[in-house]
Parts: sequence; structure tokens; C-alpha cells
Amino acid sequence: MFSLKKRSAQITGAIFLLLFLSVGSTSQVQPFLKLSVRDYEEFSRVIIAPSFPLSFEIEKGSSFLLVKIAIDIPFRIQREPFDSLIIKSFGWTKGRDYYILTIKTKIRDFGYEYFVINDPTQLVIDFREEVEESRGDREIRSLLDSTLSREQEQLLGEEIQTIVIDPGHGGRMEPGAQGKYGTLEKDITLALALKLKDVVERNRPVRVVLTRDTDVSVSLENRAARANSEKADLFISIHVNSSFRKDARGSETFFLGTEASDDETRRLAYLENNPADVERGIGGDNEDEIAMILWDMAQSAYLKESSLLAETIQEELNSLLKTRNRGIKQIPFKVLTGVACPAVLVEVAFISNPDEERMLQTEWFQNNVVEAIYRGVESYIDRYTRR
Amino acid sequence: MVLAVLVIIFFTSGIKDKIIPATPIPPPEVEPIPAQPGQTRTVVLFFLSEEDTFLHPEEREIPDDTSVVRQAKRTVMELIKGSQKGYISPFPPEARLRELYVTDEGVAYVDFSKEIVEKHLSGSSAEISTIFSVVNSLAYNFDSIKKVFILIDGRERETLGGHINLSRPFLPMYDLIAR
Repeated sequence: MFSLKKRSAQITGAIFLLLFLSVGSTSQVQPFLKLSVRDYEEFSRVIIAPSFPLSFEIEKGSSFLLVKIAIDIPFRIQREPFDSLIIKSFGWTKGRDYYILTIKTKIRDFGYEYFVINDPTQLVIDFREEVEESRGDREIRSLLDSTLSREQEQLLGEEIQTIVIDPGHGGRMEPGAQGKYGTLEKDITLALALKLKDVVERNRPVRVVLTRDTDVSVSLENRAARANSEKADLFISIHVNSSFRKDARGSETFFLGTEASDDETRRLAYLENNPADVERGIGGDNEDEIAMILWDMAQSAYLKESSLLAETIQEELNSLLKTRNRGIKQIPFKVLTGVACPAVLVEVAFISNPDEERMLQTEWFQNNVVEAIYRGVESYIDRYTRR
Repeated sequence: MVLAVLVIIFFTSGIKDKIIPATPIPPPEVEPIPAQPGQTRTVVLFFLSEEDTFLHPEEREIPDDTSVVRQAKRTVMELIKGSQKGYISPFPPEARLRELYVTDEGVAYVDFSKEIVEKHLSGSSAEISTIFSVVNSLAYNFDSIKKVFILIDGRERETLGGHINLSRPFLPMYDLIAR
């Protein structure tokens, strides 16, 4: 009995030794790769930490990233459970001497950045939500970037001889917006327009016409018609803004929008093929339907220039005034429709904001606004017109 | 044996009878039956926020209805009622919807009473908010509404407060919405 037990003990011991050796040897050699995901405020981070030297390539798909890892021996994958806003799941595929890790994302378009840390080796990939440029910004950018057609260059080549400035609102029935301290928009716009006329005429051999120079009411269509009858080369409408938001502040420059419907595309095509009609119809006298159509489309021929003028003016307002930059936008303003030359509407500040309302009442602020608009116009003339 | 035969006859005769349904099954592609009272759908309304210059979405339940016009009307009425989540309403409190209709071409005519003009703040920003709150809220929720035309007291009007041209229908401007 004794001898049997010893024997079995020996055998068991031997078996265990063998097992231990075999297990021990593989665990010492087998490589592994650790995958972890962590969400940060602006991005999600994937960390790939292999126990072997890393040689990789990355390729991007629309909602996944492929990481091709060069290795031809099997390895263990250790993955931490995760719950991420951007990272959806991982998948693995094997090639002859490589593995491909597919990182699937929850969002369609994402941006990524990666870097490698050594010692211990780590491949860190940060995933970000790609902020798509909005359609409006893209349209504006393409307008600004687009090269001028030959016709447009010819138009621009003309010297700026007449500028029409339009002080918004006016008259008893149309005071425009009113501030908490009783300031009326129509008074501010007139003050600014008179100052601007003065500054332009003192610095340039340009004729400046105001659509009103006293507190009278002028219809929106008449303001545009005046620009055309005076043969304006530039049209600037000056306004003061108002919002439902108490905190709204800053300056903004607008030019006309391009929402061409099927009808409008056809009419624009007509305009382009019949430039003589543009001359004839624009005066506003003609009651024809064609004249009305031409009136509606008149500004379309000048959108490129209008966008450039809006840009130069807004640039100057931003830097001189340091008011909050609200940028340039395309909006269907009634007063700009029908103007047959580069035309913009400038909202200088918010009368609905008591702080800005107070500033608007000061000589200092008014002079600075006028200076900024003048510099914007000067910049436009110098950059885009030939003398 | 006789019993067995009787049983067989009894059962087989039953099987041969046609099953007559209690109510006729309607043919396909027919007008859906109006929703039962109490059924609602969610619409997204767009309001302003003190936080930034964008329009912000807010969900609202309205009675589910086969009529797009009825749902659209209700959507605008809910917009005028205001936000229930603390957002800012871009409408003067006196604003009132008179009528709403949608053409076959997908243009919704939204007719407000004159208070929306008389009590308006008069500023580009304010006008843009009012207009696109309505336009975006309708175009976003209803596929059959592609453009929105704004009328005041049943008539075309130049502008709400002297700025934005109302004489053409508006396409939605989704750039104005916060991401």
C-alpha cells in the first residue's frame, strides 16, 4: 500500500511538472494586445497597446477606421469593456502576415489623429466628430473664392464714382427699433449716414448720395430705385439691430440670398442672354412683367461683388470695434432686392442691448463705426476695382 | 362504429364551411383610418436661446392626424404658445394664426393676424428669428411642405418690420439651427 501511494504521487508530480512547464513556456512567449477606449470632452480615445513591436497602417472609411497590424504569429487580445459616444465596436480579420483591426464608429463622418508612444509601445488614436461646414457658409465661401467671369471683371474694372448710402427707416410712422433708453433706430442710422458721407467725400473723389437726409419716410423700393437712378456703383444700407434675446450684441453685414427656384433660374438665364433688357427695365418706371422680373433679379448679377464688399466691411467692423463678430450672411432683404450694383446692409450693433444702445448714442462709437465702414469700402475699392 | 361515422360527418361538414369575417378586410392603398382620439405624434419646434445665436429644437406632442394642414396649423399654434423648456419665443405674445393652407406644389401659406407686425420688435435679427422659426418648424416636420409663404391678415405684405422680403416663399435655413 505504501509503495503504491508513493508511486502515484511521483507520477502525479511528474504530470504536474510537465503541465507547468508546457503552460509556463507558452505564457512566456505568447504576445498580446490590449485595447481600451476612453471618452474625453471633445474626442474619444482608442489605445492599442501591444506587447510586440508595432508596425501599422491606417485607412479611413466613412464610419470606420482600419488599422492594419503587421504580425504573423497569433496573439491574445485583451479588451476592456467600454461605453463610448463615438466608438461603436471592434472587429478583427486576419491576413497572411497581418491582422486588421476595424474600429467602427457611431457617427458617419469623423476626423481622427494618431500618435505613437514608446516604452511601453502604444498607438493612440483620437476620434472627433467632424463639424461639417454648413450649406450657407459653403455657398458664401464659394462665392468669395470663385474667380470673376470676364463680364464681372469688366464691371468691376469701372471706377467707383457714386456711392449711395441708405439710412434705415425714417419718418413718423417708421422709427425702426427702439432701445430701453428711448433711442430710436432712425435717428442713429441718419447720424451714421451723414458722418459716413462726410468721411467718404473728404477722402475720395466720389459722389455720395443719401436716400434720405432728414427724418422722412422712404419706401424700401424707392431706396433701391434711387440707387439705380443715381447710377450707384456701391449701395450701403445702414441699420441698427434688435433681437428677442436680451444678450444679442455685435455687428453683422448682409447681402442678398441666392435661393434660385426653377422660375428664378429661368429668369436669370433670360437676363444673361438679354443684357440690354437690364438697362431698359431697371428704372422702376416700366410696369411690364419683364421689368418686375428683372427688378427681382437685378441684384443677382452682383452677388459676387456684394459678398466681397460685405466681407471687407465686416472685417473692419470686427477689428476696429471689437464688437462680437456675427459674420456675413445671405438674407433676402427687401431693400437690397432690385439694386443693380454691389449692395450690402450693415447692422452695426443692437439697440435692444442696453450696453450697446448707450454706445450707439456716443460720438466716439459713431465715429468708430463710420471709420470702420469707410475702411471696408476703401479696402473693397483698392482690392477689387481698377482705377 | 355508427357513432364514429356520425362524428366524422359532423366534423368534416364543419370544415367545409367558409369562414366569414366579422368586418370586411379593407383593400390595400386606401385612406388610413383617422387616428383614435388620444393618439399623438411628436413635432420639433424651433425657438431661440439666451445661450447663442441659433435656433434650438424642442419636441412637442400634437394630436396625430391624417391631415397635414391640421397638423401644420397645430404646429404653428404650439410655436406661438411658446417654449415649455425655457427657450425664448421669437413671437410677440399677441401673435395669432388666422389660417394655413398647403398647395400641391408644397408651398404652405401661413396667415397671421396683424398683431405680429404691429407688435414686432423691428430688427433684422428679430425678423429672421420669427420667420425661420415658422419656416424651419414646418419644413422639418412635414415632407410635403417645401416652402413657406407668410401672409398678414390674408394679404401679402412687404416685410414684418421693415427688413426681410416677404413677397417670396421661404426655403428652410437649417444653418440657423444649433448643432
